[in-house]
Amino acid sequence: MQQELLATLENFGGPDIVVPTGAHAARPGEAPYAGYALGAAFDEMFDAQGHVRAHYLPLENRLSTLAPDELHRRQQACELSFLHQGITFTVYNDSKATERIIPTDLLPRIITHGEWSRIEAGLAQRIQALNLFLRDIYGEGRVLKDGVVPRSMVYGSRHYRREMRGVPVPHGAYINVCGSDMVRNEAGAFVVLEDNLRVPSGVSYMLANRDVVRRAFPGVFRSMGVRSIEHYPQELLATLRSLAPYHEDVSIAVLTPGVFNSAYFEHAFLARQMGVELVEGRDLLVNDNIVYTRTTSGLKRIDVIYRRIDDDFVDPLIFREDSSLGVPGLFNAYRAGNVVIANALGTGVADDKAIYAYVPRMIRYYLSEEPLLENVETFLCRENSSLSHVLANLDKFVVKAVGESGGYGMLVGPHASTAEREEFAAKIKSNPENYIAQPTIQLSTAPTFVEGGVEGRHVDLRPFILHSAETKIVPGALTRVALKRGSLVVNSSQGGGSKDTWVLSQ
Amino acid sequence: MLSRVADSLYWMSRYIERSEHIARLIAVKLESMIEQTSEDAEASWWRVVAGLAAEGRADMPRDAFGITQAVALDRANASSLISCLGRARDNARQVREQLSTEVWEKLNRLYLRLQPVTVQSIWVHHPARLFREVLEDMHALEGVTYSTLSHGEGWHFLELGRHIERAQLLGRLLDVHFSINPDMAPPKYFDWLVLLKFCCAFEPYTKLYTASIRPQKIAEFLLFDAGFPHSVRFSVNRVTDTLACIAPGAPSLRRVPAERLAGRLKALVDFGQIDDLMAGGIGGFLADITRQCEQIHEAVFSSYIAYGAESVL
Repeated sequence: MQQELLATLENFGGPDIVVPTGAHAARPGEAPYAGYALGAAFDEMFDAQGHVRAHYLPLENRLSTLAPDELHRRQQACELSFLHQGITFTVYNDSKATERIIPTDLLPRIITHGEWSRIEAGLAQRIQALNLFLRDIYGEGRVLKDGVVPRSMVYGSRHYRREMRGVPVPHGAYINVCGSDMVRNEAGAFVVLEDNLRVPSGVSYMLANRDVVRRAFPGVFRSMGVRSIEHYPQELLATLRSLAPYHEDVSIAVLTPGVFNSAYFEHAFLARQMGVELVEGRDLLVNDNIVYTRTTSGLKRIDVIYRRIDDDFVDPLIFREDSSLGVPGLFNAYRAGNVVIANALGTGVADDKAIYAYVPRMIRYYLSEEPLLENVETFLCRENSSLSHVLANLDKFVVKAVGESGGYGMLVGPHASTAEREEFAAKIKSNPENYIAQPTIQLSTAPTFVEGGVEGRHVDLRPFILHSAETKIVPGALTRVALKRGSLVVNSSQGGGSKDTWVLSQ
Repeated sequence: MLSRVADSLYWMSRYIERSEHIARLIAVKLESMIEQTSEDAEASWWRVVAGLAAEGRADMPRDAFGITQAVALDRANASSLISCLGRARDNARQVREQLSTEVWEKLNRLYLRLQPVTVQSIWVHHPARLFREVLEDMHALEGVTYSTLSHGEGWHFLELGRHIERAQLLGRLLDVHFSINPDMAPPKYFDWLVLLKFCCAFEPYTKLYTASIRPQKIAEFLLFDAGFPHSVRFSVNRVTDTLACIAPGAPSLRRVPAERLAGRLKALVDFGQIDDLMAGGIGGFLADITRQCEQIHEAVFSSYIAYGAESVL
């Protein structure tokens, strides 16, 4: 990727001289931070008194010496390069499909060595427990017999795949690629908001952001000792390879729904970076429980499939029969052990919003350890005491339907009208098992380039975890940012952008 | 190579060739029309339209402005320059990981650049300039394709698509110039010059035959010259060569249909005699070339792209 950008980003960075730290650091209210408001949220750059935190000083020093239009120019050059590379997603409205770039904010979000060590250890612990949980519920079901997790919650989940019962998976690793959503709360602690265990995306943006941001601030980047994330594709390849039943001539493919999928760029990018084939369902066929791709020279066997399509679409013979994205017969080949699918099928049951509340208990149950990372406090409406508490304080909670994602079936209490709250309360009462409630969290803010200066905007954090026989976490993440002032919604479809994330080596 | 990938590369290349062909025809026509009477210009524009669209030309406009709009910039016309370029890009996007960054970005930038263009916006100042610039980009695209892609199987599929398309486009263009059409005045001296320029052949032609412009020599050059890249024979030879390089692991049984058809076409153009053709109707000969190109296309498709699993297991 770096070479690609060298070829395309003419005149992008420019000289980047780092002013020695210790020079006067600007504070909120002073240019370029004229509009920078510190609120209740934790701010990544300024402490509560408005002093720049030590690990942001080199960047701050650089920013105060850059003319505002210079920053603007670099921002535009960055956006143009994304457009030319085709790093876009498609927005459909009316009959017209428009390609848009996901806006990248040039100002990196910086995480210290100590913070990262805690995140890393906590995520490794978490994915280990989640894998043990999956192995358990698709196996003997100890956790259910011991009453740690309610049986109905697992078997009632629409992401539970009965077909997976007793199907062995390599190294017992169900989740091979995971992208957890984390946020930093008002107290400055990182907490896990969601475990994405199905087909998490965004890692290509992590890598693409690094490329442009490193070019925009080469001097600062070098001087701060930012840890490298370049090796992600190699690590992913090694993880996939380790799942194969044998070790030579392993044939790996990335399975994409196709060019119309909004994450298609990422699928193609990862295939290219790993040097493996990018395939669609129609490229694959199954004969005698062996999976092949159709090539010009004939059929070629496939051993490991990194699938970027949902469980439902993998095999029309077993799952949704109206789907043409998958491959008829694939699941039987999988069950016969002739092909590995990563992530395994049925992982969605463990990133359900209600199951999420049980992850700390899983960690204690399987690992006999205390969770290193906290959850966001979650009330399960299925429990009577929680239900009455939630209903009494509906104006303070975010209530989510368990099986939904992408912001559907959700009530944001503080922003809802009385009528909306009453309507939602009725829904909760009629089907309490289907709802959970969480207090609204003020996501932390990070300096973000806006028209005319730098202001704080709310951000989250999505690190990427690879897991097979061992767990690997590349020291970096996708930081998503709500570009609208005051907004807490970081989704790219709703005005969100992203940032490079710098993890410092010391 | 995945069959689907080969298919996308093949079509990407065909659409690029078609876009380039349209751009060149429009550029040459816009530049040359100022030297023609309005009647001659109209007949000449009509040949452009007929040379591009095999059918559906009844409702085509007859003036330069309308034709430029319709065949180059009309998004509703599926065979316009801008539609062809869009399809080339769609195909490229599907095989993005097979292309070099240079190739993809050259194509993507050209596509993005043409998006806001309308015929009104270019008509005010020297409209041919846009098409000349498009041609420059096309040549640059061809250059990076040659120099940054590995000349492996994928590249051979690109070559195959390009030359099957080129042979067919040339055949059709020659047909509207050489076949007798009762509705239309026969081409005049100036039209023969324009035909050479349509095929970037003016200078190479004069090197071989001097500046004496004779229809029979033009036909001979554009059909049978072995070294000129925009002759039918050159393209047919490239098709034959590339067929030997694609699908290296395919058993000979599957190679036979396409290679046999290509060999037959190669014999036709390698040993064709212009005197015979001019005496007995060149139209039939040109139609034969077009039809044989289609047969080769179908054979490639059924042998390498869409074969059934039962035929190989």
